[in-house]
Amino acid sequence: MSDFSDKALLPAGMCDVLPPDAECEAAATERLIACFSAHGYRRVKPPLIEFEESLLDGRGAAMSGQTFRLMDPVSQRMMGVRADMTLQVARIATTRMKNSPRPLRLCYGGQVLRIRGTQMRPERQFGQVGSELLGSWEPQADAEVILMAVEALSDLGVNDLSIDLALPTLVPALLDKIELDDESRDTLRAALDRKDEAAVGDLSNKLGKATADQLTAMLKATGPADGTLAALTRLTLPKAAANELASLAKVIEKIRSAAPDLSLTVDPVESRGLEYHSGVTFTIFATCVSGELGGGGRYLAGSDDEPATGMTLFMDTVLHAIAPAEVKKRLYLASGTDSAEGRNLRAEGWITIDGLSNNGDAKKEARRLGCSHYLSNSKVHTC
Amino acid sequence: MPKPKEKLVLALPKGRILKEVMPLLRAAGIEPEPAFSDDGARQLRFATNRPGLDIIRVRSFDAATFVAFGAAHLGIVGGDVLMEFDYPEIYAPLDLGIGYCRMAVAEPKEMVGNDDPTTWSHVRVATKYPAITSRHFARRGVQAECIKLNGAMELAPILGLCRRIVDLVSSGDTLRANGLVEIEHITEITSSLAVNRAAWKTRPDEIGQLIEDFRRALAKTTSVLETVK
Repeated sequence: MSDFSDKALLPAGMCDVLPPDAECEAAATERLIACFSAHGYRRVKPPLIEFEESLLDGRGAAMSGQTFRLMDPVSQRMMGVRADMTLQVARIATTRMKNSPRPLRLCYGGQVLRIRGTQMRPERQFGQVGSELLGSWEPQADAEVILMAVEALSDLGVNDLSIDLALPTLVPALLDKIELDDESRDTLRAALDRKDEAAVGDLSNKLGKATADQLTAMLKATGPADGTLAALTRLTLPKAAANELASLAKVIEKIRSAAPDLSLTVDPVESRGLEYHSGVTFTIFATCVSGELGGGGRYLAGSDDEPATGMTLFMDTVLHAIAPAEVKKRLYLASGTDSAEGRNLRAEGWITIDGLSNNGDAKKEARRLGCSHYLSNSKVHTC
Repeated sequence: MPKPKEKLVLALPKGRILKEVMPLLRAAGIEPEPAFSDDGARQLRFATNRPGLDIIRVRSFDAATFVAFGAAHLGIVGGDVLMEFDYPEIYAPLDLGIGYCRMAVAEPKEMVGNDDPTTWSHVRVATKYPAITSRHFARRGVQAECIKLNGAMELAPILGLCRRIVDLVSSGDTLRANGLVEIEHITEITSSLAVNRAAWKTRPDEIGQLIEDFRRALAKTTSVLETVK
């Protein structure tokens, strides 16, 4: 094998991003953040690495299996490389910014590193751009975050968005009073994750017929929001579960009144990827890509369990969903072109490529360098 | 890039299960174009009587892969494949009750009696299902070294590749014919209707309708079977 191919090989799940993709990612990230900033979300920048104890404490434990660790040779303590930024931002909000007035709106953009890629996202490093809204229990806060995600993505040109709402607390609320051994609990969780009605039915002697029927009805109800809500309200649920459902209905109502045409589905039993959430959650899909563009939802931040909601967009999937950036016009300036002339052209919006030495035919050289135009006698010509 | 609404694609497994799938498909009101039942046809993708639905015919393991990656929106997938790969992107809402068989550990009949499975700490097993096999043995505290084969598992013990196999057993005839005996039952297997997660979320009406059609077809065919019995 040649020297070149040895050096070009990267670890699994890592990649070099080249032009124009790297430019496209940077521009998309800035545009999303600009949208969040326009809604009053202030940008924060947490570090890449934190002490393992604080990074994976409490709700962070859900990310433990995905976090790279390294030893800090200075403090001799174990550190973790962030696998998710949400909890870092929540930590900032509940420690260093605990005296800032609530509701507190923060946004961020950065790279995360995960031990394993998933099937849909083989990348082990990818960009997250997101926002968090802390200090409010209001359903309006949930709606704000979702609607802002939709606005930001639509602004980027991602069409046909579909929001899938879930309530990971609903099933636990339903099972609260039921004694279930660990094995049956795992079997039930797996059956619900697969939406396997028959497997849920098989557990009915352990769950009791009434509960098994309710779970099956929830599985069947999965689909467009209005139908699902109607089907769920017909169920007689325990008080805690009914309260969860009522808050979901409120959030849907708020979203509907602001964006009546947005496609909304409800999945009452979804729990995957929502390990640390404590209320209404959501996942963003688009018909043009087969993965999740992002997601988020309610969680409790910090040791005082401050109410919070937020969302994260996965930049790799977002980039798959948007049209490639238009190729900007590039103008070749042969060596010796007056520098003021170049400055004026850039001010007009041109990208200028300076010839470093006299290469003879300007048109030929412009073509070789992939320019669309060249300058000759102070006039712009197409190649 | 935004595209006009694509046709939905249903992936069906070739071979044994396909025969059992067809009556169900018809009961659901889905009729493939004539080329589908023509064995000589080279075509891989087929239209149906529904303008928005196409069918593809692929190997049973591939049916799951197509659905997991969203290349097919729905599929009919064996429980063995779903368990082996445990794709998080696949929902399996309906057990279709077809393609019934069981997954079991088998060994040569001469070994049975001299062999006490409770004493094992390590086994070498030939199988098409390394993930299910390792998981099964790990649960019993046994480390399994899997040799991946794609077919003719029964040859492995005879030719001394290894002494035990994990495979699907339907009537048990193949095992008997090769001097093997089933010693441990792992699980029962049937085929399910599999749905790609993103497809279900982004096209809930069309997918919901298809699931409902299959649910109704299933109720119809099972009630017919019960009357026959």
